[in-house]
This record gives sequence, C-alpha cells and structure tokens, in this order.
Amino acid sequence: MATTETTDSVQTRLLGREFTFPVEGTWLAYWLVMFRLVGGWWLLHAGLDKLVNWPFDAGWFVGGAAQGTSLGPFVTLFSDGAALTFVNIAIPIGQTMIGLGLILGALTRTAAFFGAFLMVFFYFINGETGGWAHGVVTGELLGLLVFGMIATLGAGRVLGVDGYLIRTEFVDKHPRLRYLIG
Amino acid sequence: MADRTLPTKVAQYVGGGLVVFGVVVVGLVEMIAGASHPVTAEGQIVHEALVPIEMRAYLILAGLVIWGLYALYRVAAVAPVGAAGQRRRVETRQPE
Repeated sequence: MATTETTDSVQTRLLGREFTFPVEGTWLAYWLVMFRLVGGWWLLHAGLDKLVNWPFDAGWFVGGAAQGTSLGPFVTLFSDGAALTFVNIAIPIGQTMIGLGLILGALTRTAAFFGAFLMVFFYFINGETGGWAHGVVTGELLGLLVFGMIATLGAGRVLGVDGYLIRTEFVDKHPRLRYLIG
Repeated sequence: MADRTLPTKVAQYVGGGLVVFGVVVVGLVEMIAGASHPVTAEGQIVHEALVPIEMRAYLILAGLVIWGLYALYRVAAVAPVGAAGQRRRVETRQPE
C-alpha cells in the first residue's frame, strides 16, 4: 500500500515578512514525542534519584552556590528554615512530577512550564559558578528552550494523555484548561 | 493570517532579542575582542571579558522573564487556540 506523508502548510509573519512553508506532520509529531520523552526522562531521573537517596539537601545550592550569582539575592532567601525545607521537598517531587507529566503527556503544558522555570535557576547558578566555562549555551539553556517549545506547541496531544483529556466535555466547557494541558 | 498583538510582538522581539543578544551577539563580540568564555571551570570570573558576566546574565534573564510573563499573560487574558470561537474560524478555512 502506497503511503503519503501528511504535509500541512504554515502561514505566518515574522520581522515584517510573510512566510509560507510546508511542514510534514509526521515528523513534527515524531520530534515532539522525542523531545517529550527525552526531556521528561531528564527530570524524572533527577527527581527519582533524589527520592531514592533521600534525604535531599539543597542547602549547598540555594545557600552556597547561588551566593554571588545573578539570582543569588532571590534564591538565598530559601537557604534556611522552613523555606529550605520547602525547597528540599519541592525540588525532588517537582522534578518527578514534571518528568512524569512530560513522558505521559499529561498536563504537558503545565509540566513544561515548570520544567523551564526550574531550568532558569539551574542555568544561571550552575553557569555562573563554572558551567559557562565553555560558553553560555549549556544543557540547561537548551532544555529550557525545549520545554518552551513543548509548552508552545502542546506536545502532549501526540501519543499523550492530553490527547484524550482535550476531547473531554469538561475541557470543552472550560477551554482555558487548554493552557494547562495539550 | 491573524496579526499578532502588541504583547506577542514584545515577547517575540524584545524577549527573544534579549536572549539572542546576550547569548549570540555578546558571545561573538567576546570571541573577537574579549574572552571566549565568561568563567573558568572553577567558577572564577574571567575579567578580560568586555561585557561583565553579571550584565550578560541579566540580559539573558530579562529575555527569559519577558517570555515567562507573556506565558502568564496568555493564560490570564487570551482565549486559547482551539477554543470554540477559534475552532469555527479554522473550520471555515478548510475548503480553501
């Protein structure tokens, strides 16, 4: 049986110029799933690793490494007491939930948003304390961009739980939920 | 083809512009006339850099913050793509 690739046309305008270009739907869907799975495992592994080796102490990062970096004045507010306890719990749980969300394609946009949010802290604090020794483009920055792309394009609709959720009557009645799923 | 709103243009051009400026343009200038990397592997600041590392970090951070604020603005103020009204508009374009 002969098969044909699904090709859609994208029309848009950028920097004052109009563009029309074909996109092969199959490959777009394929790469969205790949980014979701690999990016999801990145954070799921990071979260599970901390949970398996509990207790987790982020004090060295928020109270130590962050000092003197561009995010230091904000991050060091969480360096002791109840705030540090919150971080010690929120980071492993958050990373695990984000990873699961991305891999399963469930609440994908929410997961990707918080994945990008976490990457902002890792990017600047790790970078300014030695991670930028080979330039400012690091895995954290690329991860941040990938998470941004996943959230923007709604990658969870491809082979993900969100593909089911988005068709439910509940989401149809509450369309703003499409910003959290998809 | 719908025109983009002002907040969208700000997010795309100002947010993206700051990130590209801080990462690519400053990086190119540093490669030519400054330091090829802003810190050492031990985390020591390289003082030969033309643009101080803090300033470069804040340029990139400002771009990322604009993107993040735009995401929050979209959720709060704009109907999502695929919502009922927009779906009808897309369907009317199908026969073209």
